[in-house]
Amino acid sequence: MIRIEDLSVAFEDTEAVKHVSLELIDGEVLGVVGESGSGKSVTALTLMGLVADSAQITSGRVLFDDVVLREAGKPCDKALYRKYQGARMSMVFQEPMTSLNPTQRVGKQVEEMLRLHTDLRGEEMKRKVLEAFRSVGLREVEKVYSCYPHQLSGGMRQRVMIAMAVILHPRLIVADEPTTALDVTIQNQIIGLLREINQKQNNAMLFITHDLNLARRLCNRIAVMKDGEVVELGETEDIFQNPGEAYTKRLIEAVPSRMKRRRNIAAVRGMGEPAGSGLAGKLPTGRESEAEAGAGQERCAELERCTGQERCAELERCTGQERCAELERCTGQDGRNPILQVRNLSVYYRDGNNSLFSRREKQCVVSGADFELYSGESLGLVGESGCGKTSLSKAILGINKEVEGEITHTTLRPQMIFQDPYSSLNPSKTIGWLLMEPLRARAALDKAYAMTREDMEAAAYDMLHKVGMEDKYFHRKPSQLSGGQRQRVSIGQALITRPGMIVADEPVSALDVTIQAQIMELMQKLQQEMHLSYLFISHDINVVYQMCDRIMVMKEGRIIECGETEAIFHNPREKYTKLLLGNS
Amino acid sequence: MKKSGTGKWNKYLTAGLLMTGLALLLGIVGIFWTPYSTTAMSAAEKFDAPSLLHIFGTDNFGRDIFSRVMEGMGTTVVISTLVVLFSGSAGILLGALTGYFGGVLDEIVMRVTDAVNGFPSILLTLVIISILSSGRQNVILSLGIVFVPSYVRIVRSEFIRLRDADYIRRARLMGVGRMRILFVHILPNIFSVFWVSVMIGFNNAILAESGMSYLGIGVQPPDASLGKMLSDAQGYLRTAPWYALAPGLSIVWVVLGFALFSEGIRRRNERVS
Amino acid sequence: MKYFMKKLITLIMTLFLVSVAAFLAFQIIPGDVVTSILGTEATPEREEQLREELGLNKPPVERYLNWVTDVLQGDLGESYRFSRNMNEMMPVAELIGDKLPVTLWLAAVSLALIIVIAIPLGVLWARSSSHFLDAVLGVVTQASMAVPSFFLGILVTYLFGILLKFFAPGSYVSYQEDFAGFLKYLLFPALSIAIPKIAMTARFLRNSMLTEMQADYVRTAYSKGCTRQRVMYGHVLRNAMMPVVTFLGMIIAEIVAGSIVIEQVFGLPGIGRLLISSISTRDFPVVEILILYITFVVIFVYFLVDILYRVIDPRISEK
Repeated sequence: MIRIEDLSVAFEDTEAVKHVSLELIDGEVLGVVGESGSGKSVTALTLMGLVADSAQITSGRVLFDDVVLREAGKPCDKALYRKYQGARMSMVFQEPMTSLNPTQRVGKQVEEMLRLHTDLRGEEMKRKVLEAFRSVGLREVEKVYSCYPHQLSGGMRQRVMIAMAVILHPRLIVADEPTTALDVTIQNQIIGLLREINQKQNNAMLFITHDLNLARRLCNRIAVMKDGEVVELGETEDIFQNPGEAYTKRLIEAVPSRMKRRRNIAAVRGMGEPAGSGLAGKLPTGRESEAEAGAGQERCAELERCTGQERCAELERCTGQERCAELERCTGQDGRNPILQVRNLSVYYRDGNNSLFSRREKQCVVSGADFELYSGESLGLVGESGCGKTSLSKAILGINKEVEGEITHTTLRPQMIFQDPYSSLNPSKTIGWLLMEPLRARAALDKAYAMTREDMEAAAYDMLHKVGMEDKYFHRKPSQLSGGQRQRVSIGQALITRPGMIVADEPVSALDVTIQAQIMELMQKLQQEMHLSYLFISHDINVVYQMCDRIMVMKEGRIIECGETEAIFHNPREKYTKLLLGNS
Repeated sequence: MKKSGTGKWNKYLTAGLLMTGLALLLGIVGIFWTPYSTTAMSAAEKFDAPSLLHIFGTDNFGRDIFSRVMEGMGTTVVISTLVVLFSGSAGILLGALTGYFGGVLDEIVMRVTDAVNGFPSILLTLVIISILSSGRQNVILSLGIVFVPSYVRIVRSEFIRLRDADYIRRARLMGVGRMRILFVHILPNIFSVFWVSVMIGFNNAILAESGMSYLGIGVQPPDASLGKMLSDAQGYLRTAPWYALAPGLSIVWVVLGFALFSEGIRRRNERVS
Repeated sequence: MKYFMKKLITLIMTLFLVSVAAFLAFQIIPGDVVTSILGTEATPEREEQLREELGLNKPPVERYLNWVTDVLQGDLGESYRFSRNMNEMMPVAELIGDKLPVTLWLAAVSLALIIVIAIPLGVLWARSSSHFLDAVLGVVTQASMAVPSFFLGILVTYLFGILLKFFAPGSYVSYQEDFAGFLKYLLFPALSIAIPKIAMTARFLRNSMLTEMQADYVRTAYSKGCTRQRVMYGHVLRNAMMPVVTFLGMIIAEIVAGSIVIEQVFGLPGIGRLLISSISTRDFPVVEILILYITFVVIFVYFLVDILYRVIDPRISEK
């Protein structure tokens, strides 16, 4: 039995872990869930004796079968730990690429475990390693044995890591975000493997993740951590059914899910509807709103808000129900008014660098893409890394010029929101400058848009408010903002010229779950206010579910399935789509 | 330095600033005025050890070494400043254009800079000097040319790094003009790195200039130079070691100053990022 | 193998370009050498005759081809300055012949000193947690890089030659007469070249090791129960040495350059000293060959380092 009692860990003045107590029995999987900086990794590293020397244990202790491994106020007894590390407790890390020594054959690296803790040598050792490789589902084990890490795929590397961790049948396995760096399909396999090993070897497993869904699928119990403390601990299903803490509720809610989506859309659209009306649930797809058109005056009022002032005059001319139908057509919600049309588009990628000596090879990364984006809708583009979704978006924006086929869009300059909030804002400029630059650029291109400095500033302040930020940020630099704030500025910068169409490339993937929820909410709010169309790219099908009206699924450069969100979720046609959905 | 800036002043910057400041001051004053005449010889004062009168002592002709060091430092300051100005601005221009646009120009410039960078800079300097023959202008010209590639490389790699940064992609999507992207959006972001290489560039120029004078292929009399003084002093190491130490240590002083300065900037950059 | 061939072709191309550059620089740009040999007083007939002899009246391409053929056959041309006897100029090959070993030995001793001292020092530096050692080595490194090589040479002469009397400055022993004495004398010039490079290499290795120590795989190794010792030598060192190999290649190029100056300081009759004196007297045939020679050496060293790097780093030897 492994016990962490009242553990506190501090780095210099800041306490990273505060009075954490956890207990693990054989055969049990305990999930530790929290956002980045919650202290979950520090707890695990302290348990494993791997925490940096600068960390101080200010209270509590770590027990392994009544042996005290680490105690408050005492330095880490490394010699004692070494007897446990590898043999009785082992760890699987997040990044399988960098967690393996790049210049040593993986077989040798696994063998080192045996060399350190057993008397096996030579051929015996190799046999044992090959056996371990087979047990984690690796094929052609002889070949894998003599490979260097870079010669293996991400999934294979993680299997090697797991083989290394379990080869000595340790009592405890600590898995620190073992699937975060992997694609969804591989993720599922690795989770399955971990479960299988846990059942076979009956070891205790500490599973650390930021992803509640993942924890739910694997863990018997879950500990939720926040700011270094365990705020909630209990059986997995209990936590999901009756979260005791407000923070846990927030985390569960922040996980994009079907429930959430309905509520959001209802919240935005449903001003005129009675709260909690049964209609809200039926609303999400544009088509169903037809039925709702009969709901009368309130609906029209709402539409009016969405379409903005220009329509007022027109609105006034019309009366009653016909007016609503007409309006619906105008807004494109149902009138099918494409803002972007892509016809039989293929995108190519030139391989290698531009050199006199090597000929560049043309590779097809997207082939035969055929779709349209309607005014005011959110179109999701889902696929695993390398499927060509980013190349497609670049082609649409005109960044990638190696294309065949047809792209027509009615907007002047579609803008983009990027994934990494840290690299999408110029660090040497102030927020105000950044928000005004699109206006300046537009004015330089077209005299008709010339604005005075005062007008630009006013517009920038206005946009700052729109994205939910205060005036004081106007003169700050990006380095003084948090990730979420930067993403808000980023959105503001994309929207200030009112482009109509926005390509959002994984706009929330780099953010913590709670921030993620806020940004998505903001994007939905702005979509309604400014009548935007989103092409929303993500690998996370749940995020897409929450944001989008329609979804396209992409695999190996082809769009294999496209349809209404609900339809895709409930009746996926393709096997691959089912596989992607299998994760949620 | 901005007061509210994110970077902090550090002791490397202080030390570097003091050391280079003092050397530059002496050098600049030395161009116009020295405590003693640097040409007046005095048999009576030959090989005087350092004293209050002659703080660095006197040489084989009884000339005041301190005055000669000041004068030599003046030459060094002028030459290295011109060299850095020339190669630095050429480096920014070439590096920005090749790094951002790539293409054939980039290909050619890179082949040349790679070739030159791979070689000890002294070799190319020697080639140029042997064709042009020695002298002040030729020293400046040859060193100016020789150091261009090192700046091109740094500026270019920064531009390549930032060319594909999300915020630059974005600027392109907005329709910002090319030159505005180059010099308004990208350039301010590379200065922190560029200043480090300017400081190192000063050092390389100073070392190269004095080395060439030492070998007798640098500036020629009547231009004073620290390297030439050292080569003269080498013959009197036994009798008057201070004669060699004075110009030698002066070079070390100023080079160390610039090195500390660049280290200070580097640390400040690190802290910012 | 394909890579090797590709590199070999690049090597030959580079050599070709360098030879063209050298030819342009020394035989086309400087103009007519006839006046510089004969002086301004010579008769036009004599000038014409010499031009004929030297082949200067032929088109540049032909002159280049002739020159390359001559060089490849070992005929390196003749010095303008040195004469063998009354009517014959000194062939450059002969001039360089007995000076080359001096420079090569100087470079070899320097490199040996660097490797033998810098690598253990770098490892020690990376391992030591003592702030004192760290500070001392930091200052020494910084200072030694600020000292110009010729001044360092003078300081070494003063300290080891005049104060400590380990060697007698200026009393060079020829390698043909007394090889041991020759090496002993070379030790101090070599040291002058090596000191700053030792500092640079040690610091480079240390930084490389410290960077590697932060890598994820180091944590993995600890999680297996490896001792610090084992992590250092079994995992970190090999990875940390990779960039050092390339760095050493650069160092070798710099040693070659450094020897040009150091030979001057210590009065060694090597090719560096010959090069400088030939530049001062504008003896182009000698300068040309020496520059070509040094350039070739540097290119070849880079080539070898490139190949070596691929042999030791499994990540690149792919494909």
